[in-house]
Amino acid sequence: MDADGDSGVQSTTIKMKRNKQRVLLLSSRGITHRMRHLMNDLEALLPHVKKDSKLDSKNNLHLLPELADLHSCNNTLYFEARRHEDLYLWAAKTPNGPSVKLHVQNVHTMDELKMTGNCLKGSRGILSFDAAFEESEWGRLIKELFTHIFGVPPQARKAKPFIDHILTFSILDSKIWFRNFQIVEKDPLQPNGPPEMSLVEIGPRFVLTPIRIFEGAFGGATVFANPEFVSPALIRSARRKERGESYKERKL
Amino acid sequence: EDVIPKRKVQVDNKIALERIRDTIKLDPSLPWTETLTVSYLEKIDVEVNDDLNRELAFYKQALHGAKAARALATTHKLPFTRPDDFFAEMVKTDAHMEGIRQRLLDESAGIAKSD
Repeated sequence: MDADGDSGVQSTTIKMKRNKQRVLLLSSRGITHRMRHLMNDLEALLPHVKKDSKLDSKNNLHLLPELADLHSCNNTLYFEARRHEDLYLWAAKTPNGPSVKLHVQNVHTMDELKMTGNCLKGSRGILSFDAAFEESEWGRLIKELFTHIFGVPPQARKAKPFIDHILTFSILDSKIWFRNFQIVEKDPLQPNGPPEMSLVEIGPRFVLTPIRIFEGAFGGATVFANPEFVSPALIRSARRKERGESYKERKL
Repeated sequence: EDVIPKRKVQVDNKIALERIRDTIKLDPSLPWTETLTVSYLEKIDVEVNDDLNRELAFYKQALHGAKAARALATTHKLPFTRPDDFFAEMVKTDAHMEGIRQRLLDESAGIAKSD
């Protein structure tokens, strides 16, 4: 009897183990419509996300862990817009870190008419990571972090019970490419034929360049810095300078 | 002249990264249904600017993931396929989907006209 009682207690404690994740999603001031739409897309796709109003200050990022705590979130996605054109994404575990700062490029949102897929609002997506994430220590860390943030936990309040889309993360050209596909299990041309799985892209699309990984949440020691990252402002100024040079030569 | 003015100091503290990953790692005994994560065993090895082949590689990765996930869902008895009579709010509204359909029709009409 005793042994039975013990095993009963054990099985309930095992059942209690849950992947509890909640993500606070917010942005800085000065985001453009495209960035805002990208945020809305993420909110629609991830039912465990809590969206908050824009953060007033760009210098007081240490407020964010507190804010996340107020909303009982243990992850934060913070979009930071600079000069109304550059978009950075902070992905952090709050309150103890780590946090990753990424540069967001090539944004396509779900509003565009080119991507024909659709899925249930709040269905849990599959996460797929390619093999390159396992090749570096920073890749493994980002994979773990993104598993927490982009993976919808089963007991998320608004989660739907079926699986109809897959989020893929792939490292190419030392950037992380994000895609979202609808899983179609029936061929619309042959409704009674053998079920052949196919995919239709839903969107959004974006490319993330890792810049830095910090030990803490929104601060702390840098444990990884991408040597290949060149800030977009620097690229623009170099390009302008080049154009200026050619003008100068013409004038001479 | 070189566009990149200077190389930054490279920081890649592997030991710290591993230690941090250990602190946040999810319990490995969690069943697969808690995270729904699958790994693709191949690397995406295509020319970055070759849009068609790049997207094809992503598609292949996603298809592999979706098939693996369906198999895993069956073993974990997790409902996967949505029944035909289950209706709920979608991420794209009906009006938006109508716009997409209209665009496809316009496109095919344009092709037919030019033929």
